[in-house]
Amino acid sequence: MTRARGTDGSLLASLPWTLAALIIALVPHVPFLPVWISGAFLGCAAWRYIIEKRRRTLPSSWLRAALALFCFLGVLFTYSSISGVGPGSALLAIMAALKLLETRKRRDQFVLLFLSIFLVMSSLLREQYLWSLPYMVVSLLVIMSAWLRMSAGESQSPRQSFATAGRLLMYAAPLAIVMWVFFPRIATPFWTVPIDTSQATSGISDTMSPGDISSLSMSNEVAFRVSFDDAIPEPRERYWRGLVLIRFNGRTWTGRDPGISPGALEQIEVTGEPIDYEVTLEPTRQQWVFALDVPTQWSLSEIFMGPDQQLARNVPFEQRVAYRITSFTNYKISAELSNLYRSWYSSLPEGSNPRTAELARQMRSDAGSDSAYVESVLQKLNREEYFYTLDPPPLGSDPVDRFLFDTKRGFCEHYASAFAVMMRSVGIPARIVLGYQGGEINPLGGHLIVRQSDAHAWTEVWLDGLGWYRVDPTAAVAPERIDIGASDAAFEAFGRAWGLTAPSRLLHRAKLAWDALDAKWNELVLGYGPDAQNSFMKWLGMNNPTWRKMMLTLIALVGGLVMLISVVLMLRYRPPLKDNAALLYQQFVKKTGLEPHTGETALVFAARIAKTGQFPEQTVDEITEAYLDARYGRNNAAAFERLRTAVRAMA
Amino acid sequence: MQRSTTLETVPAGRNAQRAVLDRARTSLGTIILGKDEQISLAIACLLARGHLLIEDLPGLGKTMLAQALSRVLGLTFRRIQFTSDLLPADIIGVSVFRQNSGEFEFQPGPIFSQLILADEVNRATPKAQSALLEAMEEHQVSVDGNTRELPVPFFVVATQNPGDQIGTFPLPESQLDRFLMRIEIGYPNEESERELIAGEDRRAMLKNIDAVTTPEMLIALQQAASKVPVTDALISYVQALVRHTRESAEIEIGMSPRGAQALVAAARAYAYVENHAGVYPDDVQAVFAAVAGHRLKPAGSTRFRSPAELCQHVLDSVAIP
Repeated sequence: MTRARGTDGSLLASLPWTLAALIIALVPHVPFLPVWISGAFLGCAAWRYIIEKRRRTLPSSWLRAALALFCFLGVLFTYSSISGVGPGSALLAIMAALKLLETRKRRDQFVLLFLSIFLVMSSLLREQYLWSLPYMVVSLLVIMSAWLRMSAGESQSPRQSFATAGRLLMYAAPLAIVMWVFFPRIATPFWTVPIDTSQATSGISDTMSPGDISSLSMSNEVAFRVSFDDAIPEPRERYWRGLVLIRFNGRTWTGRDPGISPGALEQIEVTGEPIDYEVTLEPTRQQWVFALDVPTQWSLSEIFMGPDQQLARNVPFEQRVAYRITSFTNYKISAELSNLYRSWYSSLPEGSNPRTAELARQMRSDAGSDSAYVESVLQKLNREEYFYTLDPPPLGSDPVDRFLFDTKRGFCEHYASAFAVMMRSVGIPARIVLGYQGGEINPLGGHLIVRQSDAHAWTEVWLDGLGWYRVDPTAAVAPERIDIGASDAAFEAFGRAWGLTAPSRLLHRAKLAWDALDAKWNELVLGYGPDAQNSFMKWLGMNNPTWRKMMLTLIALVGGLVMLISVVLMLRYRPPLKDNAALLYQQFVKKTGLEPHTGETALVFAARIAKTGQFPEQTVDEITEAYLDARYGRNNAAAFERLRTAVRAMA
Repeated sequence: MQRSTTLETVPAGRNAQRAVLDRARTSLGTIILGKDEQISLAIACLLARGHLLIEDLPGLGKTMLAQALSRVLGLTFRRIQFTSDLLPADIIGVSVFRQNSGEFEFQPGPIFSQLILADEVNRATPKAQSALLEAMEEHQVSVDGNTRELPVPFFVVATQNPGDQIGTFPLPESQLDRFLMRIEIGYPNEESERELIAGEDRRAMLKNIDAVTTPEMLIALQQAASKVPVTDALISYVQALVRHTRESAEIEIGMSPRGAQALVAAARAYAYVENHAGVYPDDVQAVFAAVAGHRLKPAGSTRFRSPAELCQHVLDSVAIP
């Protein structure tokens, strides 16, 4: 047992490569894994290397079993589950590291390299980025080099292994591309990967409490990108509606669950020009579909319109999805509203925010009409000392009262919430819309980037004859937020704070370039789904590509490619013994017009040529002597030169 | 038995060695007429530190060749006539009790010479044969528990009469392997034979012949011969030949790796004799029949009547890479 666990340093040459392959496979998982797993992984790698280096013995099977159990429980404790991408990859990583501790033979190293390939692939289950492909190429290069190092031993230099691995990947690349293009993509996949719900993505949530959106304002993450068919609307026109919140409990606004409302689309009357655009939405883990103001048409059949004109999809967005929308910015919704709905949209919890209710009743009676009242409330927010800030003071119970009368500092959600409560207090139907406002135009890609920091909340009030009418109280307080956009505002402030106008501008431009590349990559590669494949197949002239047809095409193409590569390799093959002297001698043989018999030596052949009398004996002897010396003698270089001159000189 | 030499006239260095070789060949050629190829092979065998088996009918000059070699090369020479009653002690020597000193004294046998002619080796019993063959292999003999080194250089020329069938013990294949080369001398051509009949008695001539070299010089020649370059291209050719002997339908047992080594060693020495810049395929072909002939076991159905024919067939079927 002890002898079996001993190491003799025989793996010392290939082990660092295996460790490098494992570590590079771990890299994309690190941000998602608990720190202790990455730590344990690196610890096991270092431990194993030291064991080999100092020729120690491997840990006993009892210790290994205990470690495995401990790590398993650790994963279970960290995630409170062992299924799903998160715990799955955590288990995979930690067990690969533990496998190191029983790696004694080359076979074990093979297992480790398989595991590292599996780790690399499993990182794709989470999310695919622009850097995923270069990363995979590099990691496969390292893993395959490790493989070659293991089999090649001393005879091959590391550089040669890298070159061979690169060549193998090159041969595989056309196959991969063909498979990627032609493998049938199915709208509903055969399998579903349980998504890691513990890792919440940043984005707007289903409810709105004070502080929800201000926490988003610091996030620079992209929410979605939009490419417009025609001109991009002005910033003030860019209200991206998401979900509509209609219930208020005194502190938190909540909306409805997504559901189809057949009448919702009919409530919209539109005028003016339609705006056509495509939205590429980053995964939100939610069902809401974001669209400019009021959408009237959309491309995906699984998207539907619910009550309050909010768009949703039947399943959450777990992957990046692109959809086309037609929107109008001149519209009128629900010119008529029943009494039942009017009271529903203006209900408030009993006795909440009493000071606000008192103020609202007073201002309403002063204003005289509903529309005049809306105007006067906006003016109050504009004229009095209300400040727009990302860092508002905390509010206790009755937050609207506290905000309106005491703190007077807030973010869009405070203003929207206060405004809606003011409206509802006097019986005007009001609802809150959560979404995004503005967005940054990427001059390189020509598209609009909407970030999480552009998250916004505004209100819609129902006025007689006008229907649901958008009112953005934040615009009354901080019009620059609406005109410039949140990210630019934050960016300017950042640049000023650090006094780095030029470098930060350069940085910003670099980021825009990266974003443009990312958007193109998303559109062309990651967005190559069933629709894109269908249209590509149509372009290729394959109408109605069925699953079976595509598979046959794929097999034919792969077979053809394999044959092509084999033929290229066969043509490139040179028998190793045809050295230069032999090639020159062949030229000479060709010039004589005779053919040496099998097993006829150069000297015998020379004698035969001499017998024909066609060639000067001296030349033939000189060539033969030089050839024999160059090919079989010690003085190769000089003899080779002699041979070359003599063969060239021969008529 | 060392002879006075005329080494003073020989130039130094590589040219000296060449001159010695050429003179040795010329000297041998005056005694063994019209057998230049056999002489070259015999010298090559000696330079490759191998042993030579001459297989032919009586009266074709087997013994003469061996004697001439020893004379020309200045080696101590002993002839052992193998008979059916020959004992190992007759070859190796015996310890004799000396009464005046009261001790055993080793009386060296004929094997303690630089060149041994083992005449008609297939007439002796396997026991006597193996005493000789072991000495050839080990370059030393053990008598009464003492190991005695044989002289250097040590060269055995054994002759065998293929015609004799009765009362002979033909050497088995495993023993044949100990000889680097097996050659046949064959009848002389008409011109040579005429000169042989009409001319001086060869035995008398042999007495007057001078040695052209010393044992030390012979050792230097052996070392020089082992340094003739062998290129990858030539090794490929040797491998192709060896592979063919193993795969050919004409041959039951092909050449062993040791046989291949022997082929390269012999070709090296031959290339040295021929003054080639390296070992050429011609050198391999020249020694092939001598080296491979007794190492191949032809298939029962073979259409070739002699090993030489079979070897020529192999050479004609293998392309030179």
